[in-house]
Amino acid sequence: MKKLALLLTSGLLLSSCLRMDSLLFNPDDSITEYLLDDFDGETEIDLDGSYDLPDSTEHVFTLTSDLEGDLASIYAVYVGDISRIATDTVILYLHGNAGHLDYYWPRIKLLANVGSKNRFGVLAIDYRGYGLSEGDPSEDALYEDSDAALRWLKENGLTDDRLIIYGFSMGTAPATELMANKRSMQPSKLMLEAPFASDEVMVQDASGLSLPGSFFTSLEINNAEEIAKINEPFFWIHGTADSFLSIETHGEVVYKNYDGVYSTAYRVEGGEHIDVPAIMGYDAYVEAVLEFLEYTP
Amino acid sequence: MYRYIALLVVSTFLMSCNSTRVVKTLDKGEQQITGSFGGPAIIFGGAPIPIPLSSVGYAVGLDTGLTFAGGVHTTSLLFGNAEVDLNMGINAFKTKSNKFGITVSPGLHMIYGFNGGDFSIYPQLEGIAWKEYGNKNNLIFGGLGTWVELDREKAYGEVQEHELMPYITLGHQFTGQKWNFQLEARYIGFTYPNENIVVDYLGPFSTGTSGVYFGISRKFGKK
Repeated sequence: MKKLALLLTSGLLLSSCLRMDSLLFNPDDSITEYLLDDFDGETEIDLDGSYDLPDSTEHVFTLTSDLEGDLASIYAVYVGDISRIATDTVILYLHGNAGHLDYYWPRIKLLANVGSKNRFGVLAIDYRGYGLSEGDPSEDALYEDSDAALRWLKENGLTDDRLIIYGFSMGTAPATELMANKRSMQPSKLMLEAPFASDEVMVQDASGLSLPGSFFTSLEINNAEEIAKINEPFFWIHGTADSFLSIETHGEVVYKNYDGVYSTAYRVEGGEHIDVPAIMGYDAYVEAVLEFLEYTP
Repeated sequence: MYRYIALLVVSTFLMSCNSTRVVKTLDKGEQQITGSFGGPAIIFGGAPIPIPLSSVGYAVGLDTGLTFAGGVHTTSLLFGNAEVDLNMGINAFKTKSNKFGITVSPGLHMIYGFNGGDFSIYPQLEGIAWKEYGNKNNLIFGGLGTWVELDREKAYGEVQEHELMPYITLGHQFTGQKWNFQLEARYIGFTYPNENIVVDYLGPFSTGTSGVYFGISRKFGKK
């Protein structure tokens, strides 16, 4: 009996060690350089050559992200003319939990083709631990790294009214957080693709039971609640066949909780988690994004 | 994000952990300790893999045909949760030869999270038919059980449509001199579709998930 008590006590002492938070992140740091168009690995969507952009508009550089004194050099790619950020409208694209910037490059290019080639500037970053970015990913780092991107845009002359933030999948967490709780800038519009409501919904989806998320994670990501704080125009797009983040339990809840000035929703029939632009059709997707970007409240 | 946090399947503790109930009730005064290892199978990286969950349990025969059993789910403990199940094995029927019988086990499955202070409780009910055979009194058994979801709401006030989490179980016990070894397969949540729910469960007909459990037990006390 004493041995059993010792075992239980040991388990409790260890209990603070095991959480599932880190499993949210699936970075790929195996690359030695960003290849963009020359990347021949797996990407989320495939684009033909008609979406290629002038090399002169593709800029890879580093930013410094300061997470309570923990400095990290993170990588970013800006598509557009940096000298025109002071007058252009810019989309900050926050990617999902897998891979690195090369993996998402076709998506970034697609946004840079909205309206016409390079009509809108597009900035994307690799969070800590992703690609060549230093450090380890964490929820706080997601927010801080994304805010480092906002600071860079601000330093280059961007103003709030010309900033749009676009989050995909895990990237919907920093997108919603930075929109709901202003840091360096206050974006004028929010776009979310395949958002997840919270880790608790993931747990409940997986178990089929009304389990609290706190049993398994310490994450505080809560897009479904944060979205209610947002008043700016909101674009939501989600595949109806998303087998990872169900449109019913995640996307619709986030959309329903938005109570701002304007929203537009696209439920893409047959769209899975990663292929919504392809299933929707790239032209239709680009047109939908353009329509939202041109919307004036 | 696609498919890469499939290990969230650990959140299936409650619907997948083997409860520490007895298949055949113990004699009065007889005691038993058990260890169980196993869990649901998921598709990960294109291949089926079992998720290893563990529990330890204790049972005591309170009377003829009435056994109390309880267990602690050790994997869950390591995640900062005190997860226990308590149940009562009741011999509902057995033949005069004591070679075939039915055990009904009502119980409670409880979990308390030290990190968030949350608590959940799930009543459970299981009925198992068992048959002893051979000189060593090996057992084959099979039955039906269910968890009961008391909460009618999910996160954000969404309606919890699952009132029960049923499972089918089929197993075999190898009876040794001192130790018994048990192998059990389960088909969990077979009434619910398993698509579009973050985890790729391995279940037939695109429903529920299958699970495999290995148990070891030793009886002591009165025989």
